[in-house]
Amino acid sequence: MMHECSLPTINPQVVCREEFDGWAILFDPDSGKAFGINPVAVRIWKNLDGKTKKEDILQELKSSFSEVPENIESDFVDFVRDLVEKGFAGYEV
Amino acid sequence: MESTAGRGEKIYPLRRIYFYLTEGCNLACRHCWIDPSYQHADKVYPSLPLNLFRSIIDQAIPLGLTNIKLTGGEPFLHPQIFEILELIRSKKLKLEIETNGVLCTPELVSSIARCEMPMISVSIDGADAKTHEWIRGVPGCFEDTLKGLSYLVEADLKPQIIMTLMKKNRDQIEKMVRLGESMGADSIKLNILQPMARGDSMHKEGEGLSVQELMDIGKWIEEILAKSTSIKILYDLPLAFMPLSCMFGDEGSGCGVCKIQEILGVLADGSYALCGIGRNIPELTFGHAAYDNLEDIWRNSEVLRQIRNGLPNRLKGICGKCLMKNICRGSCIAQNYYRNKDLWAPFWYCDEAYREGIFPEGRYV
Repeated sequence: MMHECSLPTINPQVVCREEFDGWAILFDPDSGKAFGINPVAVRIWKNLDGKTKKEDILQELKSSFSEVPENIESDFVDFVRDLVEKGFAGYEV
Repeated sequence: MESTAGRGEKIYPLRRIYFYLTEGCNLACRHCWIDPSYQHADKVYPSLPLNLFRSIIDQAIPLGLTNIKLTGGEPFLHPQIFEILELIRSKKLKLEIETNGVLCTPELVSSIARCEMPMISVSIDGADAKTHEWIRGVPGCFEDTLKGLSYLVEADLKPQIIMTLMKKNRDQIEKMVRLGESMGADSIKLNILQPMARGDSMHKEGEGLSVQELMDIGKWIEEILAKSTSIKILYDLPLAFMPLSCMFGDEGSGCGVCKIQEILGVLADGSYALCGIGRNIPELTFGHAAYDNLEDIWRNSEVLRQIRNGLPNRLKGICGKCLMKNICRGSCIAQNYYRNKDLWAPFWYCDEAYREGIFPEGRYV
């Protein structure tokens, strides 16, 4: 479950490889798992630095992308939860 | 998703069976990777007996079966194709068919339409009769195929056209798209010529396209051709060469994703096999529907167990280094084995690209 007040930070082992079309591959060298993320998700990934707040990331997405869906906040929460479940991001203990 | 058995072993559901229904085919395609015998009025070849088909289905449903693919040879050559379709319908199995379309009739199409979510692909390799028939080896088949396609369109079955790319037809891709538009096809899938069986001979004779040429075609399709048509174009390159949006996007086709761990092939003689490759590679067959229990074959076949345990981590060469290996799984294990007698050998296209220094840099470690 996603923590209410804080965001996870990216797993520093995970490699993010951006491609020409704005998409990127997240790759965990330990497990060999990899998956692709779209340009909006790439921007979220780059902001999971332990400092930037959720509201600020959402604001940046809305100002940077022309067709941000109305339910961007729930997509954001789902994506971050997915990252945590995959071990690609986590909370500091 | 696989589950876990009591002794800690994963249990893989058998989701899909590919039935290679007939040993013969009514066309004689230069590039065929199955290499069936040419069937005509004077010579008929065996087909999978209906009682074996029924028995396999009955055994497979408890193992998780949801999808059936009918292919060949040519599936519509099967003398009991109507009974086979009725059985598939009665079991509510999703149906996929690969056909050359020549034997399609309104009656057959109606029988297909009664099945669950039928998905039909019709092979057309040239946008004109001269090219198509040069590749497919039988005069007159172009018009018959178009007629068959029209029946499928009329029944709203949204057929897909499959075109295999080679030197002979590389300049006809756009014409094929326009033909598909005019006929009412739903999509066009462009396959690369695979160096197996007759396709291997074509490659050796220089009739295939180079990796670079195929990559250039992919770029042209993505940047120009796809934007000029409402027909969906699926280009069947290995995943490392495809945009991430195709694999992970909302409108991605899922193309190129290998489902080898949930598939079993059945040959026209009743043998169980990895896929149609079993016709040419006997060690990739696992028993026979007439005297072997399907559950036993599916759970305990040594080759299937090796594949389940080895994929993707045992893949060698560029496939072992590829970031897509968890999804792509070596692209085509059967073909890799055919060429190298090694299940873990890299896929030929990726291997050639890597050797030539044109494998996408960001896609491997």
